[in-house]
Amino acid sequence: MGITVGKPDVDPDKAAHVAGVRRGNHRGVIKHQPGHRRDDRSTARRSTGINASHRNPVDPDMPNLSPA
Amino acid sequence: MTTSQAAPAEQRTLTDVAFDPITRIVGNLGIYTKIDFNTREVVECKSTSSVFRGYSVFMKGKDPRDAHFITSRICGICGDNHATCSVYAQNMAYGVKTPPVAEWIINLGEAAEYMFDHTIFQDNMVFVDYCERMVKETNPGVWERAERTPAPRGDQHGCRTIGDIMRSYNPFEGATYKEALVMSRLTREMICLMEGRHVHPSTLYPGGVGTVATPQLFTDYLVRLTRCLDFVKRAVAMNDDVFDFFYDALPGYEEVGRRRTMLGCWGAFQDPEIVDYSYKNMNEWGNRMFVTPGIVVDNQLVTTDLVDINLGMRILLGSSYYEDWTGEETFVDMDPLGNPVDKRHPWNQTTLPAPQKRDLDGGNYSWVMSPRWFDKRTNDFLALDTGGGPIARLWVTALAGKVNTPYVRSTGHSVQIDLPKTPSSPERRLEWTPPPFPNTIERNRARMYFVAYAAAMALHFVDQALKEVRSGVTKTFQDFKVPKEGIGVGFHEAVRGVLSHHLVIRDGKIANYHPYPPTPWNASPRDMYGTPGPYEDAVQGCPIFEENGPENFKGIDIMRTVRSFDPCLPCGVHMYLGGGRTLTQSHSPTFGALAG
Repeated sequence: MGITVGKPDVDPDKAAHVAGVRRGNHRGVIKHQPGHRRDDRSTARRSTGINASHRNPVDPDMPNLSPA
Repeated sequence: MTTSQAAPAEQRTLTDVAFDPITRIVGNLGIYTKIDFNTREVVECKSTSSVFRGYSVFMKGKDPRDAHFITSRICGICGDNHATCSVYAQNMAYGVKTPPVAEWIINLGEAAEYMFDHTIFQDNMVFVDYCERMVKETNPGVWERAERTPAPRGDQHGCRTIGDIMRSYNPFEGATYKEALVMSRLTREMICLMEGRHVHPSTLYPGGVGTVATPQLFTDYLVRLTRCLDFVKRAVAMNDDVFDFFYDALPGYEEVGRRRTMLGCWGAFQDPEIVDYSYKNMNEWGNRMFVTPGIVVDNQLVTTDLVDINLGMRILLGSSYYEDWTGEETFVDMDPLGNPVDKRHPWNQTTLPAPQKRDLDGGNYSWVMSPRWFDKRTNDFLALDTGGGPIARLWVTALAGKVNTPYVRSTGHSVQIDLPKTPSSPERRLEWTPPPFPNTIERNRARMYFVAYAAAMALHFVDQALKEVRSGVTKTFQDFKVPKEGIGVGFHEAVRGVLSHHLVIRDGKIANYHPYPPTPWNASPRDMYGTPGPYEDAVQGCPIFEENGPENFKGIDIMRTVRSFDPCLPCGVHMYLGGGRTLTQSHSPTFGALAG
């Protein structure tokens, strides 16, 4: 290789993963995400932890559109 | 060489004219030409790059999940295109399919990016070359005529004469110039709504997006889009008027920047109904993209199959500062369908930089390699170009006849775009038909038509996304596992043309990663077979229409040609004439010195 570079003092993948920290992409991660249902829908619990059930639609057949 | 020469080069009086740097690709593009001022023709052109990036070198060994965040930094204006393309490549490697709402969100973000980037380039960069001040300096005769010529589409854009349109393009003071800046703010807001941040998105991931899908998200986007549509309708009409006028005022101008039709488009906007990111089904889902991928050679559609496109890619050397990698490791000898993969394919490339002195006389002169597409019909290595992006996208989509949405339709010979009624303009139908051959004007003309295309597509995407959300489906992310071994490829369109990311994973880390954005295709130097790259090809043989002689030559026709490929911000062009006589002309792009 034509370019002379210094000796690396850190592994290039050093920050890739720290053992014990949960990876966001893990399979089955849905159980850690309150308000997300397995049928691809969500409830108001996704947006808030305070009295979330009060913020769900009155009619269960209505789409549950939580604010954010 | 495609130059048509009336006399052998050695009998002509040639003047070296160099434009270096032409910026906007981080200031590293240089165009070196030999001009015959007697016959008013560019005889030879070489395109050089003096910057080495090295992404393919330092990506090795990194966590593949970081790839889209790192490669986004390749570009300061279309980073989100890189992030998206990297996400596509990772999706293939991880075997994950993005939920539909997330796919619409990515499409909406990318549509806004096309609108943003094309508008700011066209109205704030390209039209500096066509504005009153520039035309007055380079072609005073044309300016006089522009003042007298009524604008045929004046009822649509409100300018009475062509001169009025050109005046509105004047940097800093022209109305169109200033309005385009306002548009760029709106369109950037649209991108930020969908992708969290512009230029380097924070909410794009393999497997989905972190954007929360609410009705308000999409209505916020729609409000801004509707405001942009008023501008887009006017801009297309102004573009057509100005470009038609140039053909009338300068007979023969269609030869400027003319090149054989060799266009590539790698497709954009996935259809969530079919895309599963598997290599085996790549042809099927590729053909359902809302901008059809494909290759057009000599005005004929050669293929729309992404597998064909992928396998035909070859990275050649010949005039580049690298050592060959034939003795290095082969990472992928066969694709998942069992097709052999060439040693010169990006999956098998090893970048071995070899810095050296620039030698424009038969030696190496650029850091850009020479990507080519192997045409198995003729065994040629085609120097495909993107024509700045839009002309290739529209041409392939028009001929393929595969796109059929409420607002955009491909007819098999043209693209029809329906823009609805918006606050200050009635509904309008636009139709883009391929020109007889690509040249400087047609590359520029296609750009604003593609802004309309992206805007109309965005309307469709908003409809589809809202349909999902209203039915309560708000899932935007699918979890996945990073495999120990895997390969992936992402095909997308960066704003200025084809974009591919090739990824090889081993032991859970990146073993090989090669992004191929549009500029390596367009700015490539002569390859090992002597085939010139697209800039070189388009500028060689270019007639000179500028009225200035060698003393105060600006090279406007050459600059218009190079900029029609959308290289990068033309904010400073330094130039010298050969023979030891150096002219220092500092023409600032913004005309700051002349504006007083």
